[in-house]
Amino acid sequence: MRTPAGHKVYAMAAEYPSAAALYEAAKRIRDAGFRRWDVYSPFPIHGMDEAMGLGKSWLSGWVLFGGVSGLLTAAVVEFGPSWFLYPLNVHGKPTNFFTVPAFFPIMFELTVLFGAFAAFFAMLGMNGLPRWYHPMFNWERFSRVTNDGFFLAIEARDPRFTETGVRELLEQSGGEHITIVHED
Amino acid sequence: MSERSQTVPTPEGEYFESSRFTGLSFLLGLIALVALALSVVGAFVNPHQFSYSWLFAFAFFFTLCAGCFFWTIVHHATDAEWSVVVRRQLENIAALLVVLALLFVPILLLRHHLYAWMDIPPGHEASLDSKRAYLNWSFFLVRAVLFLGFFAFASLALRRFSVRQDKDGNPRFTIGMRKVAFISLPMFALCLTFGAFDWLMSLNYHWFSTMFGVYIFAGAAGSSMSLLVLVITALRQAGYLKDVVTLEHYHIMGKWMFAFCVFWAYIGFGQYMLIWYANMPEETQYFITRNTESWWALSMLLVIGRFFIPFGILLLRSIKMEPRRLCIVAGWIVCMQMLDMYIIVLPALHGTGVHVSIWDVVSLIAIGATLGFAYLRVVAMTSLFPVRDPRLIESLKLVN
Repeated sequence: MRTPAGHKVYAMAAEYPSAAALYEAAKRIRDAGFRRWDVYSPFPIHGMDEAMGLGKSWLSGWVLFGGVSGLLTAAVVEFGPSWFLYPLNVHGKPTNFFTVPAFFPIMFELTVLFGAFAAFFAMLGMNGLPRWYHPMFNWERFSRVTNDGFFLAIEARDPRFTETGVRELLEQSGGEHITIVHED
Repeated sequence: MSERSQTVPTPEGEYFESSRFTGLSFLLGLIALVALALSVVGAFVNPHQFSYSWLFAFAFFFTLCAGCFFWTIVHHATDAEWSVVVRRQLENIAALLVVLALLFVPILLLRHHLYAWMDIPPGHEASLDSKRAYLNWSFFLVRAVLFLGFFAFASLALRRFSVRQDKDGNPRFTIGMRKVAFISLPMFALCLTFGAFDWLMSLNYHWFSTMFGVYIFAGAAGSSMSLLVLVITALRQAGYLKDVVTLEHYHIMGKWMFAFCVFWAYIGFGQYMLIWYANMPEETQYFITRNTESWWALSMLLVIGRFFIPFGILLLRSIKMEPRRLCIVAGWIVCMQMLDMYIIVLPALHGTGVHVSIWDVVSLIAIGATLGFAYLRVVAMTSLFPVRDPRLIESLKLVN
């Protein structure tokens, strides 16, 4: 979608006077069935994920994957050398399964480490970070978002997006300064 | 900012109608009387076995109640919001420590069967003589009175403040309870640690483990949170606390169960690995007894049942937010706590293998039924949640 002047359209955005207004507006947008949209505020708003209908984050799945791969990595690098490649008698402890208590700390630590890495990098990936610029910055008023501005933007790639329909919805939900935000 | 519409509870609170449960109360009282009478018989017929059985049962219920006391003081010291609605039940269970202090008396009377160090005269064993400054009868008695006195006094004080706040909602009581909690936190750590040293670790006076107190604490905190889940669910089944305790509270209680399941394994393994690795005869004898003969099977059951099984299950949110399923896990954890105490106490007597005695069961029923009977008395005295707590509304609106 393009504006008459030829700019590519990123979204239709609106400003809200308060966190409560933004919260109520989010519920309306969610109920209208939009999928590609987001809200912006200077601070986290309790219950917003529910109001936006975000559902459960699957970050936990990535953390589980990271944790399990850490555990397996530790098992391989410990059992491999100590049992098969270079068995050493340390402290008179046997070189078989009954040595496993000595290996638990490393297993535990690699599980935690890989789990933490998975959480960090999957969080970046799922949020599309790092990202140097965002089309919302093309809107002058949006600079207030780190101060006292509450914004909501419905992206043009949403299948339900129509200029008149979205503008009407944003107006009904109490949005002010409704505008088209350019992609670049 | 929550979407959930909140029904503010009536200012009078909810009351447990003990008239509905006279049958249960009578039954528990009867069982308690019969079991206590049988216990007296046991103490005369087979005092050696009975003293260990009673100590096992005492340690099991003591850790459960002391754990609830711990959660109460943590609630006040951290200014927690979520636990306001369940706090009264924590206080009620912690108040049972008064009854437990009385049930400690048989251990004092039967001390010569339990603690070998009391009978060895000075000069016979150098390793024991070096511990005499701590391990002697008069100091043991002073400590026992101090520890149990502290638990009884502090838990009653907290409950009393909390109940008085029900009348006028004066925030002065919140401040007062916080002050009691601040003093109680270090006192709790000292009393539980040295109580564990005195009553459990000194069963074998050669053995020592500096992590033993923390180990007992880890088991107590996790299992008492499980007990809280069971008690709250039982009250909800009976029709109370329906609009007060929500699935969000269950979620948090489940998370605590999970956290202390991991913490217990961390401490338990830390204690085991250091002793296993250093391989010093004084220390290893404790685990050699418990990892050989038929005790090995119970030790493995404890490791798998207390950590691996609940760890895997409690990872799932669908378990933590479903009271019925969480109750199954909670009941299992409480049983594992019982097994844990069994493995700590009984091998000191039956070093050659598991030997379940009728007196184990009698002691367990005697203390359990007495505490259950006392709980039904205590729970009916006040509202089932602190109705005028300044943070009650925040707790009701809890979202995680």
